[in-house]
Amino acid sequence: MTGEDILKEIESDHDLGPVYRLARRQLAEVNSVEALKDLRIAILGRKGRLSTLLQGIGKLPPEERRRVGRLWNQLKAHLEAAIDEKIDRIRYRDMEDTLRGQAVDITLPGKDMRRGSLHIVSQVVEEIEDIFIGMGYRVVEGPEVELDYYNFEALNTPEWHPSKTLQDTFYVDNPYGTYQDVLLRTHTSPVQVRAMEITSPPLYVIAPGKAFRRDVPDATHSVMMHQVEGLAVDDDITLGDLKGTLEYFARRMFGEEREVRFRPHFFPFTEPSAEVDVSCHMCSGSGCRVCKGTGWLEILGSGIVDPNVFGYVGYDPEKVSGFAFGMGVERIAMLKYGIPDIRFLFDNDIRLLRQF
Amino acid sequence: MRVSLEWLSDYINLEVDVDELAELLTDSGTEVEGIERMGLNSEGLSVGWVAKVRPHPNADRLSLCEVDVGGSLFEVVCGAPNLEAGIAAPFAPPGSFLPDGTHIKEVDIRGVTSQGMLLSGIELGITGDTEGLLLLDLPERENADLEEALGLPDTVLVLEITPNRPDCLSVIGMAREIAALTGCELRMPPVELRESREDASGVVEIEIWDTDLCSRYTARIIDALEIKGSPWWIRRRLQACGVRPISNVVDITNYVMLELGQPLHAFDYDMVSDHHIIVRRADEGDTLTTLDGVKRDLGPENLLICDTSGPIALAGVMGGERTEVGDGTRKVLLESAHFDAANIMRTSRSHELSSEASYRFERGVDPNGCVYAADRASFLIQKLAAGKVLGRAMDVVGRAVEPVALEFRVHRAGRLIGVALDSGKAGDLLGSIQLDVQGVREEKAEEILNVRVPTFRPDLEREIDLVEEIARLYGYRNIPPTLPKTSHNMGGLTREQSIRRSIKRVMNGLGLYEAVTYSFISPRWLDVLDPDGEVFPRDIYKLRNPISEEMSAMRLTLLPGLLEVLRFNLNRRNLDVFVFEMGRVFEPLRDDKLPHESISLAAAMMGLWSPKQWSEESEKVDFFTMKGVLEGLFSSLHASEFSLSRERFPFLHPAWSCRLEAGGEDCGYLGLIHPRVAEAVELPPETALMEIGLESLLNAAPELLAYEEIPRFPAAVMDIAVVVREEVDEGEVLCLIKDAGGDLLREARLFDLYRGEQVGEGEKSLAYSLTFYALDRTLKDEEAKASYDNIVEKLSGTLGARIRS
Repeated sequence: MTGEDILKEIESDHDLGPVYRLARRQLAEVNSVEALKDLRIAILGRKGRLSTLLQGIGKLPPEERRRVGRLWNQLKAHLEAAIDEKIDRIRYRDMEDTLRGQAVDITLPGKDMRRGSLHIVSQVVEEIEDIFIGMGYRVVEGPEVELDYYNFEALNTPEWHPSKTLQDTFYVDNPYGTYQDVLLRTHTSPVQVRAMEITSPPLYVIAPGKAFRRDVPDATHSVMMHQVEGLAVDDDITLGDLKGTLEYFARRMFGEEREVRFRPHFFPFTEPSAEVDVSCHMCSGSGCRVCKGTGWLEILGSGIVDPNVFGYVGYDPEKVSGFAFGMGVERIAMLKYGIPDIRFLFDNDIRLLRQF
Repeated sequence: MRVSLEWLSDYINLEVDVDELAELLTDSGTEVEGIERMGLNSEGLSVGWVAKVRPHPNADRLSLCEVDVGGSLFEVVCGAPNLEAGIAAPFAPPGSFLPDGTHIKEVDIRGVTSQGMLLSGIELGITGDTEGLLLLDLPERENADLEEALGLPDTVLVLEITPNRPDCLSVIGMAREIAALTGCELRMPPVELRESREDASGVVEIEIWDTDLCSRYTARIIDALEIKGSPWWIRRRLQACGVRPISNVVDITNYVMLELGQPLHAFDYDMVSDHHIIVRRADEGDTLTTLDGVKRDLGPENLLICDTSGPIALAGVMGGERTEVGDGTRKVLLESAHFDAANIMRTSRSHELSSEASYRFERGVDPNGCVYAADRASFLIQKLAAGKVLGRAMDVVGRAVEPVALEFRVHRAGRLIGVALDSGKAGDLLGSIQLDVQGVREEKAEEILNVRVPTFRPDLEREIDLVEEIARLYGYRNIPPTLPKTSHNMGGLTREQSIRRSIKRVMNGLGLYEAVTYSFISPRWLDVLDPDGEVFPRDIYKLRNPISEEMSAMRLTLLPGLLEVLRFNLNRRNLDVFVFEMGRVFEPLRDDKLPHESISLAAAMMGLWSPKQWSEESEKVDFFTMKGVLEGLFSSLHASEFSLSRERFPFLHPAWSCRLEAGGEDCGYLGLIHPRVAEAVELPPETALMEIGLESLLNAAPELLAYEEIPRFPAAVMDIAVVVREEVDEGEVLCLIKDAGGDLLREARLFDLYRGEQVGEGEKSLAYSLTFYALDRTLKDEEAKASYDNIVEKLSGTLGARIRS
């Protein structure tokens, strides 16, 4: 029997019916906690109407007595709950009325919570790292002060190459000895050479870090910048694999709808080599200030690892092949967020740091 | 490099439009950086034929002339020195507009009405020539279109030629490339020499002493020439390529260099002592005044062209003044030679002298192109400077350079590129760029092509170089994108890399912004921070060639960079700045070429830690703000506790200067800036600083955390106020409390520090909240009380402390 059926049975009962109907009516009428408390005594109190009924029930025949007794109990529980519930309802209503009356200015500012943020360069480095970690790459690091061997020679850069001159590369004097081959790395590729020296293939690594070039500082050149270089060496790495990998990266970095273009280019340590452009996210390729009207943004240099480079680290170019790529973090940050001048990134103006 | 399409069309029929061409070039590795359209931005101009010339009645230096434009005659006043009957020049009739916007009207000049104006190159806005009217070189008197007569409209492609493609540094090189890309036919420039009977071998002698640096030297002798200005079409093409026209012979050497890529030089034959050319390394003490007027000291690393009295040219870079071709030159010795790329590059760099010639030589010129270029230039001199070309090119070969023969494995190339390749396709692609594919043989499921590489492609030396050619000609866009087929790669960060990321995030959470500063600093910082050299040695790594003193020393500490950040912000009225940096510092090692690089974490804070708010008072940064940051950092890393000890650091305020220790090792410092330093760098004296070696932090952080039981039984909390003498450290009191409290004392927290009337002079009151509990039972009051009493006893016994109640 459902609760509703029970109430119907109570209502039709000769003795309980009138008490129930009266109680229901009174419950609907009273509107204060005080009156409800009085009502509870009047109905459920020791001398209340419900208790009084008990005497009559005692005189009923046993069969009938059990039935009515059960109904009586159910009616008592029902009325107790109904009164309690109404008391709560009225109390909450009164509380609501009082609370609503309080005048509060919610437009006052919240309390100042300090927060800091990662430098935009770190944010972009982490974003790039995470994309490649997702593709199974490890992150490797190496020294900023490097040897010519790792920075140039083992990367197949000829002895007379213009990038090696004092005009383009910072050379460093060791305070305890005279060496001509200590320099500030001009890219993070030397880290890859070091990684290959201590790891046999297969190898999937990226190398983030600072690099230094003796450029005259201007809006797009800085004597220091950050790079992320990558290297994959395995049994059958192809130029197609390079394309697939970097297309995936470029779309993750700049948006799924970006087009990616590979142009043949030249680097001493890769062959064939490719520069990678992504269609401009500002104008979607129609030409704007950011892409200088070309519709394309150059974001990466890459290529198939030159067999000579494998020669330096003892890999057999007939057995393994690989691809390598490198990108400038500041350039990517500037393109992605529309920052007009690379020097802003190292001023560390707190107003710029707060923006990212 | 700049290439004129009008010029290109001499050698190929361009059947694609400019934008398509640009895309083809970019896709094959020659990036088109710009497309410049050249034309006359004017209105109503035409070709004017000067029919008659007579003197101006009222002015000696002016003439009157009759100009014929397609049958209409105009009477024009003109003062140009090169005005004569029969010439054709650009003409602006009344009603027309010049490119600069000038409106041409009939005007009265000294009593005669001039119906328009004959024009110079400057007035047309297309040349810088000042020699009077721009003479148009038209075959016959016809009603020609002015733009066409001027070789306009033209389009110039601005190309980025990569260093491996010296063969593209010429119009013919680009024509060859475009012919390969579009399949059109290549026409080589004509040479129709009429050599005189006199043989050059009798009038000149050539010796190459250093054949390692000069593999070939070819010379032509041209006599009886007339030095004058070049015709317009030569000047215009030179200008389109960014070369300034000078006079016919010099212009022709430049023209042929741009056309064929072979640099040429013309010597005034009569100035070459004994007409004897010697190619040799410079001796110590040799000097040469080059065409730019600079007297240069030379040494054995420089290659010279000499005659019997000394140097006459810096080989491959620039000629000398003594033998310069000038207006009086009647006979020239035309040099077309091949020099070593690396040597020219070194000479050009060391003398800071770069020329169109050196630019080409240092990238690599065809060693077998000398004779053709010499003949082509001689032909043009014969045609345009009335020169008589003596019989025979004097061709001295110091070292013969033969075409390279390569074997090319077709399937291997296909595998490396990621496409299916067969010998037919590969042969076609290699043939399209004029490589000589001499046959195919099969070997173990591989097809091998024998390829001879012409000497104009010095970059193709290995099989992999041919793979690159195949890839770019096949088209990168046609290679399907794939991912490496591997199961070997497992990526991720190392523990250290993850913790470094965490530390940065924690510092952010604590309210600090990350800064990134340069790895090099000004060495003067060390004197500011540490004038007596107590902590920072001066034997440090310095840049040999810094761009400025400010960025010349590898940092030993991150402090200077951060102080500069504060300074920079203060200058911009950013007063409240809290920054940290994590970066490398460089410690010299006595027995290593490279320094020891370690990662350091530093923080600097100044200003209001929390601003005045409507609900809160403001709070300044002080020592304890930075200490709180450090505590927050250690607890977020679950690192073991650090400790501070009073120790003087020369850049820290002597009263607020601490050494930082963690895990029993020294690892950094914490304090307020020394007022001396603050004054020197103009920072507020309450600036708080901290630096810690990352390695110590990593050591202090646990590899693994273990669960610690949470009490199920209620704790007893009691407060205690301890009055001690002022000189007693709070740390000491706390330490005693913890010792005396025993196992049941789980936490002791200082909640008040009081000085004043309630305590004696020279005393302070420290109030602690003490929490006692046991893990296995509810504590009885007596148990907590016993522990409390023990604390009271130890405090009074050891420190003479009183307990306030």
